[in-house]
Amino acid sequence: MSSTLVARSLVNRNIASAVVGKSLRPLAVQVRKSHSDAAYVPGGPIYKGTVNDPTTFPPPSRIHGSYHWAFERLLSAALVPMTAATFVTSGTNYPLLDGILGISLIVHSHIGFDCVLADYLHKRKFPVLGPASSWALRAATVGALVGVYQFNTNDIGLTELIAKVWTA
Amino acid sequence: MQSLVARSALKRTPAVRTFASSAARLQATPSEKPVLNKEFKIYRWNPDTPAEKPTLQSYTLDLNQCGPMVLDALIKIKNEMDPTLTFRRSCREGICGSCAMNINGQNTLACLCRIDRNPSKDSKIYPLPHMYIVKDLVPDLTLFYKQYKSIEPYLKNDNVPEGREFLQSVEDRKKLDGMYECILCACCSTSCPSYWWNQDEYLGPATLMAAYRWMADSRDAYKAQRMERLQNEMSLYRCHTIFNCARTCPKGLNPAQAIAKIKLELAAD
Repeated sequence: MSSTLVARSLVNRNIASAVVGKSLRPLAVQVRKSHSDAAYVPGGPIYKGTVNDPTTFPPPSRIHGSYHWAFERLLSAALVPMTAATFVTSGTNYPLLDGILGISLIVHSHIGFDCVLADYLHKRKFPVLGPASSWALRAATVGALVGVYQFNTNDIGLTELIAKVWTA
Repeated sequence: MQSLVARSALKRTPAVRTFASSAARLQATPSEKPVLNKEFKIYRWNPDTPAEKPTLQSYTLDLNQCGPMVLDALIKIKNEMDPTLTFRRSCREGICGSCAMNINGQNTLACLCRIDRNPSKDSKIYPLPHMYIVKDLVPDLTLFYKQYKSIEPYLKNDNVPEGREFLQSVEDRKKLDGMYECILCACCSTSCPSYWWNQDEYLGPATLMAAYRWMADSRDAYKAQRMERLQNEMSLYRCHTIFNCARTCPKGLNPAQAIAKIKLELAAD
């Protein structure tokens, strides 16, 4: 049973290779050949180099590595006492705290969204949509910063707004 | 039939019981086990007919005529029902990592996974998720091994003591416990959503734990270089502490903890 199956698949392969116009070389060689011929697509089935080459690392950069991670974690941790502090005090009395909270929240969400884009819309896979969404995110962040600045200087400020909505 | 033969043999030689007549009658009859049919639905895809979509093929086995583990069921199906069913297996005792597959939604080793004996529920068996498939339950692990190779998983030290053992204190050796046991079955990496989306750049929990195993080794002299290579956006920091790796590991290891330690050491560096 199995031997006939093997024989049949061998016949198929031989026919296939004859159709492609290549000699009856072992299948593995042909697969490797076609791998090196085909274009590399990130995340695709074709890998860079041979099976014995290790994958490579992107150029090292602490800004994108540990500094980014440490900043993100410290900011997240700092937001907890900062939020608690604004519950105790009032934004009108401590406008600086109000401002720092507004900026921190926006930077925190910017990093979060940026992470989402790096996961799902990375520019190596989406050469147009990836950078476009990154720039859209940057524009939105700048817009939000300007908005918070205007709101905190010319109006009641973030903390007061949340307090008002809370008791409304 | 057998008992008839035995009886006639007994009649012929009443005085001495010969070896040939050794009394099947006198032995306790083996209790007939009831039939316990269970349905297994197994992912099938054949590279010889690549245009055909993958399907779930159903096999029904009598669990009372089968070993307790899912791998026993797979081998029984391959031996007795369908020799074209393809899967990797080797040691059948959870040390080679060949039979890693997705069983009832959980990545695990088929040889360490007991068959759920509830006959009313079918058992679904898929290959490791989000991998390119060679055939049926066999995923292509080439990239996984290439990534493992990239972290240089061997001791690097230019001043190895000559003519004697390279000793390590008991405390230093303890740091490697929970990491050196990894068998590279790829269950953790293929359960990680980050690895699904960014497999080509993100190393994945198995490779990162192997990387930390060599960073934590007191005898390795290239820790700084090993750490420097991970200082980028993709290789390490696509880990979002989802913990699927720690939950799924069939060896009970914790790759997430190793990754957390790498992150801490990189931040403190």
